[in-house]
Amino acid sequence: MSEGQSDQFSGRVGLIFAAIGAAIGTGNIWRFPRMVGANGGGTFLVPWLFFLFAWSIPLVIAEFALGKRSRTGTIGTFRIFAGKKFAWMGLWTAWISTAIGFYYAIVAGWCINYFRLGITNGLVGKEVDTVEVWNSFLQNSGEVIFYQFLIIAITLLAIWKGAKAIEKANVILMTSLFVLLFMTLGLSLWMDMSDGTLDGFLFMFTVDWDQIGDPEIWINGLSQSAWSCSAGMGMAITYSVYMRKDEDTTLNAFTMGLANNSISIIAGLAVISAIFAVSDDPLGVVTGGSSAITFLALPEVFAQAPGGGIGAWVMMTGFFLALSFAAITSMISTVELCVRNFVDHGFSRNKSVLITTGTIFLFGLPSALMWIKLDSEGVAFPEFLEVQDHIWGYGLMFSGLFIAFSIWKYGYLKWRAAVEDGSAAPGFKGYLGVGVSAFRDDFINTGDNDLWIGRWWDLLIYLAFPFLFVVLMVSYFGDMIANTDNVWDPTNPHGLGIILAFWSVVAILFMILNKFLVARPLFRNVPEGADVDISMLPGGSDELIVQVGDYPPGWEHLGEKEYTVSPE
Amino acid sequence: MNSRISAIMLFTSVTSMMALSLTPMISVSAQDTGGYTPNQLWSDDYVDSVLPWGGDEREQFNEYHDYDSMKLRMMRLAEQNPDIFEFHEGLNGGVNKRGDVTTADSYEGWHYNHASPWMKITKDVSGGELNPFVGDNGNYADRPDVLIVGNHHAREWMSYSVPLMFLEYVAFSYDNIGYDNDGDGKIDEDPWGDADGDGELDDDGDCLSLVNESRDSNGDGDDCGPGDLGVDEDFSEQWITDLVNSREIYLVPMLNVDGNIYDREIFCPAPAWESCPSGGWRKNLRNNGPEPLPDLTQEVDEDCDGVDLNRNYQFEWGWPLGATVPLIPGTCTPAEDERAGISNNDVYTGPFDTTDNDGDGLVNEDNVDGEDDDNDGRLDEDWAGGNSEPETKFIQDLTEMNDDNGDGSTEFKATLTWHSYSELVLYPWGHCTGCESTDHEQLIYHGDVLAEYTDYANMQSSDLYPTTGDFCDWQYGVHDSYCYTMEIGTAFHQNEIDIKHIAIRNLGVSFYMAEIADNPREKADLGLSGISQQFIQEASEVVLPEYGDIPIDVCLDSNFPYSLEMKNTHLMWRMVKPTRQQSDYGPREWSTTDWEMVPFQAIEESCTLRDGDNNGTVLRATVPVSDVITGELHYKAMLSTLSGSTLFEYPPNGNYNVLDISYRAPYGGVFSSLALFGVIVVLVWGGLGVCLRLIMDSGDEDVIMDATLEEGST
Repeated sequence: MSEGQSDQFSGRVGLIFAAIGAAIGTGNIWRFPRMVGANGGGTFLVPWLFFLFAWSIPLVIAEFALGKRSRTGTIGTFRIFAGKKFAWMGLWTAWISTAIGFYYAIVAGWCINYFRLGITNGLVGKEVDTVEVWNSFLQNSGEVIFYQFLIIAITLLAIWKGAKAIEKANVILMTSLFVLLFMTLGLSLWMDMSDGTLDGFLFMFTVDWDQIGDPEIWINGLSQSAWSCSAGMGMAITYSVYMRKDEDTTLNAFTMGLANNSISIIAGLAVISAIFAVSDDPLGVVTGGSSAITFLALPEVFAQAPGGGIGAWVMMTGFFLALSFAAITSMISTVELCVRNFVDHGFSRNKSVLITTGTIFLFGLPSALMWIKLDSEGVAFPEFLEVQDHIWGYGLMFSGLFIAFSIWKYGYLKWRAAVEDGSAAPGFKGYLGVGVSAFRDDFINTGDNDLWIGRWWDLLIYLAFPFLFVVLMVSYFGDMIANTDNVWDPTNPHGLGIILAFWSVVAILFMILNKFLVARPLFRNVPEGADVDISMLPGGSDELIVQVGDYPPGWEHLGEKEYTVSPE
Repeated sequence: MNSRISAIMLFTSVTSMMALSLTPMISVSAQDTGGYTPNQLWSDDYVDSVLPWGGDEREQFNEYHDYDSMKLRMMRLAEQNPDIFEFHEGLNGGVNKRGDVTTADSYEGWHYNHASPWMKITKDVSGGELNPFVGDNGNYADRPDVLIVGNHHAREWMSYSVPLMFLEYVAFSYDNIGYDNDGDGKIDEDPWGDADGDGELDDDGDCLSLVNESRDSNGDGDDCGPGDLGVDEDFSEQWITDLVNSREIYLVPMLNVDGNIYDREIFCPAPAWESCPSGGWRKNLRNNGPEPLPDLTQEVDEDCDGVDLNRNYQFEWGWPLGATVPLIPGTCTPAEDERAGISNNDVYTGPFDTTDNDGDGLVNEDNVDGEDDDNDGRLDEDWAGGNSEPETKFIQDLTEMNDDNGDGSTEFKATLTWHSYSELVLYPWGHCTGCESTDHEQLIYHGDVLAEYTDYANMQSSDLYPTTGDFCDWQYGVHDSYCYTMEIGTAFHQNEIDIKHIAIRNLGVSFYMAEIADNPREKADLGLSGISQQFIQEASEVVLPEYGDIPIDVCLDSNFPYSLEMKNTHLMWRMVKPTRQQSDYGPREWSTTDWEMVPFQAIEESCTLRDGDNNGTVLRATVPVSDVITGELHYKAMLSTLSGSTLFEYPPNGNYNVLDISYRAPYGGVFSSLALFGVIVVLVWGGLGVCLRLIMDSGDEDVIMDATLEEGST
């Protein structure tokens, strides 16, 4: 095996920046303030913070641990950890992320366009009607596609060269994002304070103890935490493939989760205090539709920033640049997740990147072009895009469940094996003693970690996770069933029928594809000297799983081809 | 703030009112010679008068139903709407009010042996009490009943078409709240009658905004009159639903099945409006025979047979105010031209009653007239005749045996019968000229409303011509039921191109009768005393308290005999709130809660009625809406009186008011927010700091900056 076959981040900071970049997206900046507004301000922060530790971080720990050992993307990870029959779960995870990428590129393009508008002062002034600006932009498909293309091109450049390039892009973008958001926050607080009340700050940090028991707020806290940290999406699996051999996964997970929430707080406070500073009914504004608040309300709010035109310009460009950066870094991880899976299966990186970005561009076109409608208030919105989000957004929950499933399965197999060789007792007690903690013992507390993970993690993964998963599903779908007309009609774009129809088609297709998937060799990206033995895992007996540079019997031709086209 | 933001971001009353049409639409005055064409305002289907339930030419009212197709359609509708419709034919029979034993056969026509088909209409029609004599379920003691009868007279084809259209609209509108009948994007903006009191039926002004030549779409010479496109065209499905939920409606579209079949199939060859331009078969098919000679043939003898069903009711039966019997009983003089309407026994009242009804040895000594003619202390116990026909027996027994609360009197406090033609609203009496009933003023009051709905003339029945033994005199005289005879259209066999618009013109009448069926007398009294000045607070009049529940007042006339019983007097409310599942990329999504009710309480305050009388009574309801809730509050008041009149709705016509509610709770205190901020700072930023510190300390990060700045690949 030659040097350079294994692609790695240059250091821990690179990995962390990339992971944070994946986690921080537009959701932190436009979804979080809405959730705060709709769920009682400070009251919302309690469950949101609670679930950071009770859901998001534990899941990310699991993802890092999985990827660090499997050294493959999502498909390979499931093939190794859950077994040959379950590679399709990894395909599901990859598909959900990629399908979101189809339209996310367009959303990221909106952000860039608004940055452009901010620079050229296209959003400030008495004669500017932000609705008109938004509507004419959205209805101009040429422009929308141009910015979509621009985003994909930037993403392609950032990941073309692999981990080191991704890392560099993320370091630059994330650092700028921090700076820009802090700047925006400063201006916002100044605006909020200038009317003498700082009411945005008060609202955001006051707990209403009468409301704290409201299950809705807790469910919203959970979903916001999970969505915004990208927990269970497979991002952390993907990036941990590029970890150096002795990386500390747990500390990384905590850092990533806390950094994500830090950004949410900064962005949320910036948005909320700016709106509270100028609006008569700030909660009406802040709880409005998400893209609306960002592209309609905030430009108007920012236009009233102190310092006249300069303040407004700084605020506008700063905010939308930060938003664009957040979107681009998420786009990078989305594309990389898909690319990694191609590379794992023997495609060259260049080819994988081109296939992925090309597909994301083409499959995103319908979202950019189709069903641009006006809502009852005359504001344009892309309904096809919205429907895509409706269908695939909820699919993320299953990706998380599949990850937990792999862990449960590993624990069970470990205990069965231990019973066989007599080192563990049969029965439930024996399972509790050996099985439940097996994954944690073997893959998390490896000795490389600075933070030792205790029994609480097992409790969360084995008990809290399935419980909360069911609560989330039941509450979301129950809500949808209760509040949607014709909810089972698969032609209703907002119903449950359409979700179930698409999910089942995709899941069945993937289960059929599973056979072909596991007939291909899988190449693991293993750094030299790393202890990534998988013989105790279901994938350990799979002869087609090899390390990069090796070729399983009958597949040597792949290597020859690879070398002939490889530029290096 | 910038007003643009509030206009866009908030779900303001502007949009909601556009959607829910609670604002009076921009009224276009009649002088304004408008400029719209119908297609600019309405949906194509509405302009083309396509009725929303589709179906064939008969279901679309482009052709007349016949008995068979009508019955089939009624059965189909009953099957499709089993929660509100129950189909019947005739009655089961049993021992009736007078002690006579009847069977189902007693109600079948003499000639073709069909009983009249009819529909029972009420919510949960298969629930409630079963009436074994009548055969219907869905009898509820607390639901007022209304009886609507069409086609006493065989040739009056519009008189069964109108009740059929009523039935179709009930089926279509029930629980179909907010249907946009004319497809103009506004909901329920033009109810029946002149709802806004501006003297124009066209409350939303859409017909009046048309170009001149389009204003009289039914061609009756009356611009923007009832039945024209755009007039009273978008009524409230909520109101219809409320009526079906709270009333029992007995709909008999075709009473005279025998006569109708005969008229259609034999007497007037199709098209009837050409073969019988001004006449037709009127009566049922009683075989009068050439008595006392035996009738050798069972064929219908057109010169002789039949009884005028609307002269066969017992009240003031046969009182000779005109030549209403064959000149010589048992003999029949051939008419010169019956198809042209010239006939000498078309109003035959039926045979004299020769039995001693009370068994006192005297015959016909106390006819049904509301007076004890023989001073024996018993009223109307030995009648001279009437109710001799299966059809009238059916109406008599349906009326008298429908006694849900067991008080001995019929449930039908309001009754309606359809006839054609003359464009009139007729109220009792019919049997006497120059006389007034004790409810004269009240009967005129409701009759005026029906006349307003239809633009027909309201008059006392006998002012048209005196009658004897007619339906409404009997319903009112014997059963104290407010009864109206609608004389609709301009011909007996109205040309089929006119069916639809005449039926639409008369559509609201049946609903109004259902509405007043609870207590028509009191409703007339209240209407006469001007309760239209009562109101519920508009959204702009509601005072939103800084925190807690929201009080909403109605202002009532101090003489209004309100009841506070929660069942019929309450404030209905619901919220439209943003849903929990907001799309990240679409418009804000809303969900609507179910209607709930809260009671009213009388408040020791007075209010100013709309006419400036400041001595109004305040009833207040408190709506439990938390101060952290945002969205729209929908509310309306339902009131009832002590004597049981119900469905006084504020606002009227099934509408409701919309109040925008914003977040009212305080935003929070300085110290508590600083405390939580501190906790967040320590946990999140502090935690992040610790993590970063640990990473630094782990020692293998001597090349952080190098790593990040180092060039590309190895």
